[in-house]
Amino acid sequence: MHDYTIRAFVQGNAEFVGFDKYAEVFGSTTFPTALLNTAVFTLVSILFQYAAGLALAVFFRSGFRLSGVLRAMFLVPWLLPLIVSASTWAWMLSSENGIVNSVLGAFGVPQINWLTSPDTALLSVIVANIWLGIPFNLVILYSGLQNIPGELAEAASLDGAGAWKQFWSITFPLLRPVSAITLLLGLIYTLKVVDVIWVMTTGGPGNSTTTLAIWSYREAFGTGQPDFSPAAAVGNVLILIALVFGFLHLQLQHRQEGS
Amino acid sequence: MTGRRPLRKTWWKTALGVFFTALMLFPAYWMANVSLTRTSDLRADPPHWFPWNPTLEGYAAVLEQQLPSLGTSLLVGLGCVALTIVVAAPAGYALALLNLRGGRALNFVLLVAQMIPAVVMAMGFYAIYVRLGLLNTVGGLIVADSTIAVPFGVLLYTAFMSGIPRELLQAARIDGAGAWRTFRSIVLPVSRNSTLTVALFAFLWAWSDFIFASTLNRNGDLIPITLGIYKYIGNNTTQWNSIMATAVVASVPAAILLVVAQRYVAAGVTAGAVKD
Amino acid sequence: MQHTRRGPAALATTVALATATAGLLGACSAAAPDEASEGSSDTYTWWDPYPQHDESSDWAARVQQCGTDAGVTIERTAYDTTALTNQALLSAQEGTSPDVILIDNPAVSTLADTGMLSTVDELGLDTSAIDENLLAAGVAGGDAYGVPIGANTLAIYYNKEVLDAAGVDPAAVTDWASLTAALEKVTAAGSKGITFAGIGTEEGSFQFLPWFWGAGADLRELDSPEAVAAVELWKGWLDAGYAPNTVITNSQNTTWEEFLTGEYAFVENGTWQVNSAAEAGFETGIIQIPARDGGGAPAPTGGEFIVAPVQEDAERYEVTRQIVECMTTPEGFVETATTFAYYIPPTAEGQAALLEQNPELEPWVSAVQDAKGRTSDDLGTDYPIISEQLWTAVQNALSGAGSPEEALKAAQTEAETATS
Repeated sequence: MHDYTIRAFVQGNAEFVGFDKYAEVFGSTTFPTALLNTAVFTLVSILFQYAAGLALAVFFRSGFRLSGVLRAMFLVPWLLPLIVSASTWAWMLSSENGIVNSVLGAFGVPQINWLTSPDTALLSVIVANIWLGIPFNLVILYSGLQNIPGELAEAASLDGAGAWKQFWSITFPLLRPVSAITLLLGLIYTLKVVDVIWVMTTGGPGNSTTTLAIWSYREAFGTGQPDFSPAAAVGNVLILIALVFGFLHLQLQHRQEGS
Repeated sequence: MTGRRPLRKTWWKTALGVFFTALMLFPAYWMANVSLTRTSDLRADPPHWFPWNPTLEGYAAVLEQQLPSLGTSLLVGLGCVALTIVVAAPAGYALALLNLRGGRALNFVLLVAQMIPAVVMAMGFYAIYVRLGLLNTVGGLIVADSTIAVPFGVLLYTAFMSGIPRELLQAARIDGAGAWRTFRSIVLPVSRNSTLTVALFAFLWAWSDFIFASTLNRNGDLIPITLGIYKYIGNNTTQWNSIMATAVVASVPAAILLVVAQRYVAAGVTAGAVKD
Repeated sequence: MQHTRRGPAALATTVALATATAGLLGACSAAAPDEASEGSSDTYTWWDPYPQHDESSDWAARVQQCGTDAGVTIERTAYDTTALTNQALLSAQEGTSPDVILIDNPAVSTLADTGMLSTVDELGLDTSAIDENLLAAGVAGGDAYGVPIGANTLAIYYNKEVLDAAGVDPAAVTDWASLTAALEKVTAAGSKGITFAGIGTEEGSFQFLPWFWGAGADLRELDSPEAVAAVELWKGWLDAGYAPNTVITNSQNTTWEEFLTGEYAFVENGTWQVNSAAEAGFETGIIQIPARDGGGAPAPTGGEFIVAPVQEDAERYEVTRQIVECMTTPEGFVETATTFAYYIPPTAEGQAALLEQNPELEPWVSAVQDAKGRTSDDLGTDYPIISEQLWTAVQNALSGAGSPEEALKAAQTEAETATS
């Protein structure tokens, strides 16, 4: 790791500073907050994305009138440029003139400062991110369900297993490899999320929605003074986290194949 | 989970499905609403549920300026789908069924490839394209965009193809089919669903890509719609109705394409290409 | 034009990000695709942050004309503001800098600090006619690195109908107390008070600085009692309901959209909204942002500088100088001013010429004369670091994450560590 001030960047004479930059990053007051926010943001996001995606996949798989069309409509969020969907969410959640508060207000709920209160800002960006992630989970899990032979389910229902039991004892276990890869990819992608949070809150108010990725982005581009060293150090921490989970996934896969 | 139930029994599912879809698409509705709203009403309190006093300014601007971008996006999306499948399907087959040495390591490399921030990839492509003169070409952008989808496609194909019953393959081998013919006549048709999924992802990623486009295609005559939108974000003003109108105009043909493609493939599946 | 905007800044990952990448790959190499653009002797490259003005625009035609006058062809490329800075750094690193860049003023000292810019003396430019306070933003270590093509700044727009209905006379708003009193009257009459941009980016600092400086605070001392008073002023408006809660995430665009609804009495915004204000569905006017105890507060200047990156071939400077001079004649300044609705010319001559055409811009001209560069006071490249802490503190205080004193104290500690 070199001391990459912009002057050094242009002149190409960065001074080698070893792990000082990492020490600086870990010692920063922002670090614990960012780490915690990253953990909450990532875990809550992928958990709900996955659950919603799975429920919807099962629901659409059961086949009914218009199911194909409706399922395709679910992909629309993905077609929207991120700046548009994130701005739209920020718009809907706006404290004074947002539609969400307007609806809640009709039920007598007082104004909630979704994006501008440290208590709810993280929740708000998570909700938007879950919304963005549902199509991805739905597509993979649906195609996973398609690959589960219909006879298995039929056999189970002949045995008199109810739909609920049938799902947990047959479908879900068979879906495990697909689930694993979905969750892993979800994790990798969610760790990297910058745009949604940045457009909605720029990591604020204060640092209440600052994740590691946002922090890295802010150091590099969010101020008038690009500083790439801490940005790169934080970025590397992120890659490290993703790698750990990647290894974990392979380990599990290996054990499963062995059994 | 079978068909042929009386429709009466599933109407509530359709109703529920419509409800979920409406909920999911509410932000998209809101976007359409904003695209028709005058600047002076944008931040009205309480917000207008419906653009009572609509303006078509945004759409006029978009139809005049953005149609070529829309075409570029479609071209890049479809090109990326084709390229991704041509590369990922054989690769997945090789990894899943041909018992390659080092397959596990390769799998891990593909995973790691997903972790590399897109900017790093974009930078690499930039350096290469400068030398090859591929900057600002649609072909170059297609190749770059498919690097997002290819590793994912290989992973997905591998995961699904390892589930293909070995007996099927052995039967083919007994008939004297080589690896390539087995792939073409057995594996590929059976993997139709996976192909659909991979194609979908390749399309959606290419469609929504911003980083590659802005790095590699910024000054081209053919810019995709994700860049086209930035025309409306000036230094001090943001033309929200044009931005939102662009998003609406851009998502409609893509949505239709998705619906039609799914129908077409679903029809192919039920026509008996695959027997469960 | 002010520094960063929210949406674009957000996604202006762009080529720019390439810079970061080089940072990420960091340590190893400084390899450059060297055969890239060498720049032929009769083609001059020009970068500016106005993608909204495409090749067929008047702006592009003017740039071309200046090239033709100097006997060369100009190749113009437009990037958005954030991308432009990063792109400039990247090109300098590769040794492929353009001949002319128009760049946001706080970025000048950043670029100058890397040694990639030639000084106005090297270029042979005469800057004596340019207003000192505006030129200062481009001065680092005693050398000027560029000339402003125009300047803008902040003031308070008011909605005359709302004020009339509440019986408030805008001329009576001369200090903080009278402004707060006006807000009280307006909200009591059922309208909304004031809106401003407290977003967590440079824009937030940009909008806060008039109050910060107007209280007599100094950017080197973020936790002074004067600074606390300025934060408390904003916080007090929020708590009393004189300002909407949205200000915490508002960009300047958003505040303007709020103002256009006609519900608000006041909005803090810039010269660039003059045209939009004239088209609003109600009568508007402007007042200078008041200082705490009366008089006009110094507002920060916005606007681009023309800079000329260092070239290996020093012969090129002569033509570059001609191009720059062509863009900065009094008539040129006026034309620039109207193209960008409105840039106030940075020279007395230019200002006079502008006022002749647009006498109603008088209050803006005086606001610009009172304005102050953000990187002035010899802050230079320390400014962005301090500014980040400042907007963070303002956000923390407004959102209730901490009291104004605590927030500013923490900001001062961080800023001191980061700049030492």
